[in-house]
Amino acid sequence: MRLSFPYMGPTIVYAKLFELLGHDVVMPPKPDKEIIDLGVKYSPEFACFPFKVITGIYLKLMDKNLDALVTSGGHGPCRAGYYGEVHKKILQDLGHEVEIIVIDSPHDDYKYFYEVIKRLKGDSSWLQVGRVIKIVYELTKALDEIEKKIEILRAYNDKGTINKLWMQAQEDFYQIKNTAEIKEIKNKYLNKLIKFEDSIPVEAERYKIGIIGEIYVVMEESINNQIEEKVNRFGFEVERSQYLTNWIRENAFPFLDRDLEKIEKKGEEFIEIGIGGHAQGNIGHAINFKEEGFDGIIHLKPFGCLPELVSQSVMDDLSEKYEIPVLTISIDEQTADANVLTRVEAFLDMIREKNYREVM
Amino acid sequence: MKKRKVGIPRALLYYYYFPFWLKLFSELNLEPVISDSTSRDLLNKGVKKSLSEICVPIKVMIGHVLNLDQKDVDYIFMPRFRSLKKDVVLCPKFLGLPDMIRHSLPGLKTEVIADQIDSKSDDIAQFSNHQKLAETFSITKREMKSALKKATDFWQRYRDLLFKGYLIDDFAGIEELEILEKVITKFENDPKPPQSRDQNLEAPVNEEVVDIAVIGYVYNIFDQYINMDIINKLKEMGVRVHSFSMVAEETIEKELSNLRKPMFWEFTNKLYGAAEHYLKNDGIDGVIHLTAFGCGPDSMLGQILEVDAKEYEKTFMTLRIDEQTGESHIITRIEAFIDLMRLKKENN
Repeated sequence: MRLSFPYMGPTIVYAKLFELLGHDVVMPPKPDKEIIDLGVKYSPEFACFPFKVITGIYLKLMDKNLDALVTSGGHGPCRAGYYGEVHKKILQDLGHEVEIIVIDSPHDDYKYFYEVIKRLKGDSSWLQVGRVIKIVYELTKALDEIEKKIEILRAYNDKGTINKLWMQAQEDFYQIKNTAEIKEIKNKYLNKLIKFEDSIPVEAERYKIGIIGEIYVVMEESINNQIEEKVNRFGFEVERSQYLTNWIRENAFPFLDRDLEKIEKKGEEFIEIGIGGHAQGNIGHAINFKEEGFDGIIHLKPFGCLPELVSQSVMDDLSEKYEIPVLTISIDEQTADANVLTRVEAFLDMIREKNYREVM
Repeated sequence: MKKRKVGIPRALLYYYYFPFWLKLFSELNLEPVISDSTSRDLLNKGVKKSLSEICVPIKVMIGHVLNLDQKDVDYIFMPRFRSLKKDVVLCPKFLGLPDMIRHSLPGLKTEVIADQIDSKSDDIAQFSNHQKLAETFSITKREMKSALKKATDFWQRYRDLLFKGYLIDDFAGIEELEILEKVITKFENDPKPPQSRDQNLEAPVNEEVVDIAVIGYVYNIFDQYINMDIINKLKEMGVRVHSFSMVAEETIEKELSNLRKPMFWEFTNKLYGAAEHYLKNDGIDGVIHLTAFGCGPDSMLGQILEVDAKEYEKTFMTLRIDEQTGESHIITRIEAFIDLMRLKKENN
């Protein structure tokens, strides 16, 4: 099948997955002003921002002669689980004939899940499918490992040099065919990064910011105004609550992931039950970041995000109780880069100032 | 002994369940205190204490909780509605409501009783849904069960009247159980049909009567302040008003089974089922989707209904309300809408 998918985070992972399964993959365009405008025009006014961005990406892909768009579903109650169904309606209404394949959890509708998987696997044998999944998972892990390093090193080194290395790494990873090559490339780039590690100061002089929030705006830098780079620019290290590895483990192998579960459980102190999205987990991550010695939290969410509004409501209390500064930023099509930059700068200044006073 | 006072916020699902709660508290020998009707002042207080981008109904709810806090009640009763059907939950904000109240209103003096409601149907009378309430007032399981039984029977009579075509508006202003009992008995024995089924209804100035389905959540369409009393305005203009609470559960289920995947939110599904039923119904001239600023589930539902209305060639309008909606705006919109339908009728 000739197919494409929404753009989020390291897209080469999804591309690799479908390519190795023998599909003709069309890379989705990276969200930019034009795509966002297009998405906003054809989406409901109060749909969340990721929905609008994805509408834009789909519409932009419409002249590519696709057989299908593949996206993930979910069982809510976050709206993201229903995107696929509404996108179908919108594309149909605009007269586009393309199928949207929604990968839902097998718990919801086993038969449908099986049908979808059978179609996506194409002519590959189940053994090959297993092999492909292993390769993709290893690839994701390798990417995340390098990215975590980048998020630290960029705080102390020339941004351009580090970014270039990161881009090259992603390009190299796109060529891999098996797990051995993944390891080779990973080691190559980890070695290249070693010489920059001397720049990391002693523990007491390191400043760390944890980024939590809704998965799409946290993971997709073209949407969140490159927030990580911005934080790095002021000499602060960054770590996110969301990495693709987590997401894959959570959704594909939930039984594997006890550590992550433990962190997310910590959120029960403020939000007693699961309320959809990653709200409870994000609260858990915020507490965990504090326990790991982070200096501040940036909480990102799309404007009007249902679960994250609940977590934002409890955030003041959390900030006070755990003595950790929190900055919440709502992101939508109106968000201006300069606004984000100013707020981030003020926030980070405040943290340095606070720390300086405490030391004196 | 003096009866202990339990405050019930007049917001969100109050409109759906208030007969149940009034009867329940009366049986348990507790005095229910209902917050004042929504007003400019009450809403402003709620707005001040909530996040600016949260939906209006939650701001209204916070206003009512603050109002009860001023009323010298012993407790505030605000259950956490999680599920009213297997595998379907309510909107995330309902699920996190008690957490939001606890952590964002640090000045609240009154303790909140927040039982979690997990039910297989709209009937919420299971003991497990009222455990905290029972603990708080040391009520035995037997007493509680017997009170719940009476409350649910009473609520069922109310529900039956809604299915028969009465609007929640016909009851919602009543705060006294005795009066409510009388009104329900009166309606049950009334030979005259409710307004929505009245074939002899006459419109003012000899205009033609039109049938409009108002699709919206109970807390948006029956809170007379927040929606500028739209129901009565429509009635005055000679409209038979229909709402989702009149549509039989089986009809809603049937419409929902046409979806590959139903939505995740209980009341959004109910609205969808009812709206599809009304869109196909020749007796209905137009459908108004009444939604509140910042409603997430409605942003999805609205899009689906808009496309479907086009398909069924039904006159359709989305009316959005928020804390700043002006009355003249609403009147202009509904007047134009009704004129359009009357014109359509004449042309046929």
